[in-house]
Amino acid sequence: MTNNVSRRGLLQAGGAGLLAAGFTTFTLPAKAAGKKPYRIALSNSYIGNKWRIEMENLFKAGLLMEPYKSDVKGSWFNSGNDVSKQSQQMSNLIAERVDAIIINAASPTGLNGIIRQATSRGILVVSFDNVVTAPTALKVNTNQYKFGQMGAEWVAEKIGGKGNVIMVTGVAGTFVDADRNKGAEDVWKKHPGITVVNKFTGMWDSATAERNAAAVLPSLPQIDGIWCQGGTDGVLKAFLAAKRPLPPTAGEGENGFRKFMTGYMGQKVQGISIGQPPFLVLISLELARSVLDGSRPKGDVEIPFPFVTTDTVKVGETVFPDLPDSFFADFTDSGDNATVKICVEAALNGTACAGRLNVVLPKA
Amino acid sequence: MSLAESAGAGQPVPAIEGVGISRAFGGVRAVQDASFAALAGEVHALVGENGAGKSTLIKILGGRIRPDAGQVRVRGAAVLLNSPHDAHRLGAWTVFQELTLLPAMTVAENLLLGREPRGRLGLIDRRAMERDGEAMLAGLGIHHIDPLALVQDLPLAERQIVEIVRAITQDPSILFLDEPTSSLMEREVAWLFGQIRRLRAAGTAIVFTSHRWNEIVSIADRITVCRGGTNVGTFTEIGEDEAVTLMTGRRVGSQYPPRPPAPAGETALAVRNLSGEGVHDVSLELRKGEILGIGGLAGHGHRELFFMLFGAQQPTGGEIRLDGKPVRIASPRAAVRTGSGIALVPEDRKTEGLLLAMSVRDNMSLTILSRIASVGVIRQATEQRLCRGIMEMLKVRAAGLASPVGALSGGNQQKVLLGRWLLADCRTLLLYDVTRGVDAATKHEIYELMTRLAGEGRSIMFYSSDAEELAHQAHRVLVLREGRIAAELDGTGLTAEDIVAAAMRDRAA
Amino acid sequence: MAAPQAIATRRPRLAHAMLQSAPLLLSLAMLAASIVVYCAIYLASQHRLPGGFELTSTVNNTMPLAMAAVGQSFVVLTRGIDLSVGGIIDLTNAVAAVAIHDSPASMVGWSLAILAIGALLGLVNGLLVAVGRLQPILVTLATLSIFQGIAIRVLPQPGGAIPDAYGAVLANVDAPISLIYVALLVLGWRVFRRTRLGVSIFAIGNDEPAAAANGIDVRRTKIAAYVLSGTFSAAAGLFLAAAATAGDATTGNSYTLTSIVAIVLGGVSLFGGRGSAVGGIAGAFVTSMIVNILFFSHIDPLYQNFYEGLFLVLAVTAAAGIGHYFRRRA
Repeated sequence: MTNNVSRRGLLQAGGAGLLAAGFTTFTLPAKAAGKKPYRIALSNSYIGNKWRIEMENLFKAGLLMEPYKSDVKGSWFNSGNDVSKQSQQMSNLIAERVDAIIINAASPTGLNGIIRQATSRGILVVSFDNVVTAPTALKVNTNQYKFGQMGAEWVAEKIGGKGNVIMVTGVAGTFVDADRNKGAEDVWKKHPGITVVNKFTGMWDSATAERNAAAVLPSLPQIDGIWCQGGTDGVLKAFLAAKRPLPPTAGEGENGFRKFMTGYMGQKVQGISIGQPPFLVLISLELARSVLDGSRPKGDVEIPFPFVTTDTVKVGETVFPDLPDSFFADFTDSGDNATVKICVEAALNGTACAGRLNVVLPKA
Repeated sequence: MSLAESAGAGQPVPAIEGVGISRAFGGVRAVQDASFAALAGEVHALVGENGAGKSTLIKILGGRIRPDAGQVRVRGAAVLLNSPHDAHRLGAWTVFQELTLLPAMTVAENLLLGREPRGRLGLIDRRAMERDGEAMLAGLGIHHIDPLALVQDLPLAERQIVEIVRAITQDPSILFLDEPTSSLMEREVAWLFGQIRRLRAAGTAIVFTSHRWNEIVSIADRITVCRGGTNVGTFTEIGEDEAVTLMTGRRVGSQYPPRPPAPAGETALAVRNLSGEGVHDVSLELRKGEILGIGGLAGHGHRELFFMLFGAQQPTGGEIRLDGKPVRIASPRAAVRTGSGIALVPEDRKTEGLLLAMSVRDNMSLTILSRIASVGVIRQATEQRLCRGIMEMLKVRAAGLASPVGALSGGNQQKVLLGRWLLADCRTLLLYDVTRGVDAATKHEIYELMTRLAGEGRSIMFYSSDAEELAHQAHRVLVLREGRIAAELDGTGLTAEDIVAAAMRDRAA
Repeated sequence: MAAPQAIATRRPRLAHAMLQSAPLLLSLAMLAASIVVYCAIYLASQHRLPGGFELTSTVNNTMPLAMAAVGQSFVVLTRGIDLSVGGIIDLTNAVAAVAIHDSPASMVGWSLAILAIGALLGLVNGLLVAVGRLQPILVTLATLSIFQGIAIRVLPQPGGAIPDAYGAVLANVDAPISLIYVALLVLGWRVFRRTRLGVSIFAIGNDEPAAAANGIDVRRTKIAAYVLSGTFSAAAGLFLAAAATAGDATTGNSYTLTSIVAIVLGGVSLFGGRGSAVGGIAGAFVTSMIVNILFFSHIDPLYQNFYEGLFLVLAVTAAAGIGHYFRRRA
């Protein structure tokens, strides 16, 4: 740990160039660290859903835009949900001696061993979305507990503090799932009039959520509110198929859900759409860049959830009628205090937008 | 008269005895109230048609399957055999008809399975195993089988010998040999009989089945005849005709039907300079209505030749003409569809062509489904009628068209496969050792059938390991040696000795 | 009395050994080739050869898969399949993260206990397959879910901490000491092949009825194969925990499939009775090498799965083709 502390001091002094020389426990040949462009790699695990694809597109687009275009030499890798493969790729990144690794991990703990090896060699590790527990890695995330809490509070208020709600949960065994559920459950406790009549997993996937909702709906009484972690549009479609009215719904940032909020399939739903923003990757990129150039101390970053409600959702900005339901409409932040503003092409194709990319990190 | 009746006071205690044994497989009674006993120091032949229950009885006495009813006694004491292992402990070893060697293991490993020599730490000593395996083979006068070879690479006859060696080197007090000679050539049979005599002299009870009558009379001390799953009599002296009558319940005339006159018709199949794996420069012609015999020692390219003509193996050179037109037979599917249709009935029915778990009907109609279907749906009445007709013509003994082929006896499985090709209207039939392990009555039916099919103008190419059969059935016989045609013999007046002599001419020198 | 003299050509012992272990030799050749390609690509992109770090991290990363592949080999050799490998790794990994504390007694005691848990889970599979006479694929698919479910119960969220000393023994980051375990596995396999159980496993994979007719206890042998598979999967769970320094009840899932891939690359026949666990270990290392090769060749990550699949198909086809060629020549 003393090594880490001293390194931190060096970094803060803007002396990242001394880093490799000052750290000698491991015997990799000295490298020219700290010189621009920084070599920053994205190590992503699963790539099989729209969110991850958008996330990776935003990363690619970011690399094509200033200041990253001149400051950063980027690369990206996918490993699927195979921890040993991601670990193997990370050791290759260590061998390549990149300056920083940004990871969306296949396991919060499974990479801790290799992360420790990376950071002990002076490589900056920034984890986001599915963050890791390794103490030496920086974390960039939203507060998942607040996701659960915000949605549940909104539903509770909409239904006047009493009635039947269902909870559609995510992938069991992950922090995100557990934290979101806890956030919601703490709200339900404060409203004795609210009964959770069913809790089932949607696996953060619209098709799965729709299938599971369709399976349980026939056995359920009238439902006054939906709290959903992901696959929200699927749940609403299952309600339509069962010819049930659409109750107030707290859900994720799926374009399909937001279409329902503006009127879709003959229905308009009262809802709040809270997104785990794909632009977390850009926040991570900016964090890595600013730590490497010494303009920011090492430290975790938490950003507020971007959200829209039926009252604030805007066609062409936070909902896109021409794009598929599964598109994540929260690829960019909105409003005056936005952390990231980026165009839809970046999310769709990974192409650069006009102008500079301005990522505003919260105060360190 | 059964032994159970004759075993009065003063009779020696049988080495092994089954009393009132019954066993059914899925409703088919394979053995019913059968009793059988073998004495120490005798060779006891068990004869009967396929499906008479001989193999099942042996499996029960050998501990391989359990009887539904009845008692097994070893040296007078009732025993419960739950596994072959139990039988082995009592000194009873079996050479099963379907060989029980492990294909991907070496000859030595197979010979010493369960009695491997141990070295340090009780681990198997592989060198010693090879040495012991070699010694076992050599001790029995076998020098041509490599103990390090994988069993799957050996020809059938050699596998059979390994299986026999494994059993007789266990010093069995009781030895069952179920059809041990079906894939052996004459000299190998002589070797086996030498071993049997040696064991008999040492006091082993030997139970033996065969479909070759001359073998039975040359070695057996007593003969028990089975029919329909039970024993119908035990004899020390019985003539072949009488035995066949007992086996079938009727009198069978001459074993071989009269041969139809040799056809002078047009050529159905012509092969020019065919070469490939195991086959070298073979040329032959098969006329319409002709039965062409192919003879020779096992492992000399017969199988490969038949497989090439059926498209199951690709030649590297040469030409095949069907009805005068050159054809390329890329696969068995192509063979059946080519011109007049070439079909193969192989000897190993279990792995080459039949779907054992499916019904007789499904197996027969497999290749004609498109013909008997309208808009893709099989017309069941048509299917039923066609299959029923074939089944009756071939005298397939099965509970019905719906019974699974796996439940039929070997000879009847053979007929189902033949029936499939007849339904597909194949005009050229390649019969590869189809009578191996088939009982006399069924053999006779197959001979009659061949004669009849040839009379209808179909062409038959026919390999048999039994030279006697070729001499009587074929219009002409080609003898293969080392993949080449060594001799062409005219059928008229041909004897088995001529064929064997042609096959061995070089080796005798 | 002499049996007839058929073709009496004898092949020398070495030729037999080469021919009969052709699939294993092929997989070792594949491993050697992939290491050469890796080194070449590494040299081209990094202008130096891979060194101690690369070796150590590759070995540490591959050890769990190598263990799982060895376990899977036992079952596949009996002509079964064990899909619950991933579930057993999940569960044992979870137990390791929760239970192992920083004292030698805890580390040794719990390691043994976890191996015993793996054996017990394998026993469940074995009993269902051998005594219940159920299809291995169905049994282990069901137990996979069950074991995964229990694993989540044991460790609802990723966490726990594996003592550094434990990691230093199983997944040392400074030196490739895990190669010792590889050597032990190879040695152990050679010994196993010379035991009664080893022979029996091959025998029932070859031909189950024939093996039974030869007095081999099919039931007991199958149960033993699943118990061994469970034990080695548990070992994989321990290595995984040691390398990660913490536990996660879901990280084992991918090993079900990758262990099968590894043994296929290693020349173990899915039809049973043919192959070697050593091949499975080689196959595990080949899969790691593929990841490395694709990494340093800097292909578009989106096509990575495509290339991995392509390589698998090519490797298996080539192995089958070469094997066939040699068998024909022999």
